[in-house]
Amino acid sequence: MRAEDEARPKGSPDSMGPTPYVARHENSASPVTRHASRPKIAVYWTGSCGGCDVSFLEVGEAIVDILSQVEIVFWPALADPKREDLEAMPPGSIDVALINGTIRTEENVEMVELLREKAKLVVAYGACAHLGGVPSLANLSTREEILGEVLGEGWRRGPPPGGPEEDAPPDLLPRALPLSQVVRVDYTVPGCPPPAGLIGEFFNAFLSGEMPEPGYVFAKAKALCEECPRTREERVLKRIVRPHELLPDPEECLLDQGLICLGPVTRGGCNAACPQAGMPCTGCLGPTPKAGDPGLAMISALASLVRAGEEGEEAIPKEDEILDQLVDLIGTLYKYGVPTFCPLSPERERAGVRGKASPSPVPSQPGRGRRKGGAA
Amino acid sequence: MAEFEPKIVAFLCRWCAYAGADLAGTSRLKYPPNVVPIRVPCSGRVEPAWVVDALRQGADGVLIGGCHPGDCHYVSGNYKARRRVYLLKKILPELGIEPDRVRLEWVSASEGKRFAEVVADFVAELRALGPIGAGSDASRVTRDEESTALRGG
Repeated sequence: MRAEDEARPKGSPDSMGPTPYVARHENSASPVTRHASRPKIAVYWTGSCGGCDVSFLEVGEAIVDILSQVEIVFWPALADPKREDLEAMPPGSIDVALINGTIRTEENVEMVELLREKAKLVVAYGACAHLGGVPSLANLSTREEILGEVLGEGWRRGPPPGGPEEDAPPDLLPRALPLSQVVRVDYTVPGCPPPAGLIGEFFNAFLSGEMPEPGYVFAKAKALCEECPRTREERVLKRIVRPHELLPDPEECLLDQGLICLGPVTRGGCNAACPQAGMPCTGCLGPTPKAGDPGLAMISALASLVRAGEEGEEAIPKEDEILDQLVDLIGTLYKYGVPTFCPLSPERERAGVRGKASPSPVPSQPGRGRRKGGAA
Repeated sequence: MAEFEPKIVAFLCRWCAYAGADLAGTSRLKYPPNVVPIRVPCSGRVEPAWVVDALRQGADGVLIGGCHPGDCHYVSGNYKARRRVYLLKKILPELGIEPDRVRLEWVSASEGKRFAEVVADFVAELRALGPIGAGSDASRVTRDEESTALRGG
């Protein structure tokens, strides 16, 4: 391992890469941590693109150090463990399960309930597990509409031709859900995928045994704008454009240039990676605690910023013209959070369709943390 | 069955609309008792999140009352309110809520009569729409959910 790691205090700049992860032991081959033995970790994907599994590599060579300190007991993207292997493990035998992906199928539910039972800590890893993620935009259509569109009229669920019944694919849930609406979640590492700094922050805390209060989200509570190097001057919106319609100025605030950047309502923690690259923030780290509902907070902000000359009755048609340039409101304002934030009507709330957000700091019975939904 | 009585939450600006509502009261004008007024400093202070919160918690309609254009005590708060409501009404259908459940009206401090008329008209409109969640909304996302209801039910 790198010799300079020992000398460097926690949190000092890492000359070797972007991660703040710092080795805190003398010899990584025989790790000295507060854990009696190497902590066991599991990584699992549900309705996921696989990007979260790959994202661990983002921490650079620190990954070698991290992996030398843990024991991977279950990680389908990496090895080939079977469900039976997981079932055979005693309850609570896994120290932390990092789960990425949206919860979309019956099998997803069964697997995360199983992991909840086997793991001491469950971490929602990535935007899908955190808020629902991009795949949960599917909630704007019903399950039947989706299946009809993809498979055609008259589809029916079943095994492949000639195959045994057990080979039938798992049922889709009526809608996609974030992890916290299915099992109790202890911590969240947000992002699409989580940026290296936040992954490092999580492992720093986990491996040192100094975890924050349950429910902690490993990102900043302050808005992304606070860490964005772009300059904000005008503070008015004279037009609204989509990213493909504009080659943005490299210095100026994207919102000032008319791009819908969700920086003002989104947590910091990624060093404003997208705005730095000329793309508006789409909100993958989730809203700041202050923003609450990111879409409605953004509507509030955008409406305040729009100007078509002097405010007054004469400006109203022109203002509406600008506001009409905002298209695909749900896809723009709730790209990652449809099941978490899209305000549902009271009737849906009453029907219990929308689960209560975890985390609840009160431990529940393993596998019993899921909120029962629906017309009970 | 008794006639459906819509519940309305009204965010009224303290300078104009709330004073107008006061005048309606002191003038002993009659208007339907379906409205719960909440005094706010300015219509421009009303957050879209409050409106949706009210609808989510069981209000059938939300009325936002502000000063007539040009009369805002804070110069331009009512214009801001108008733009917010304009955008909010665009997103409401996507969320399964009829945009007509949100109404922005200009009522001056001297327009007690107008306030009473606005409330009466809104109540009639909401009666026609029915209770929130009963109409188009239910068909959108939840059609099959009551029967399948996430394995719990």
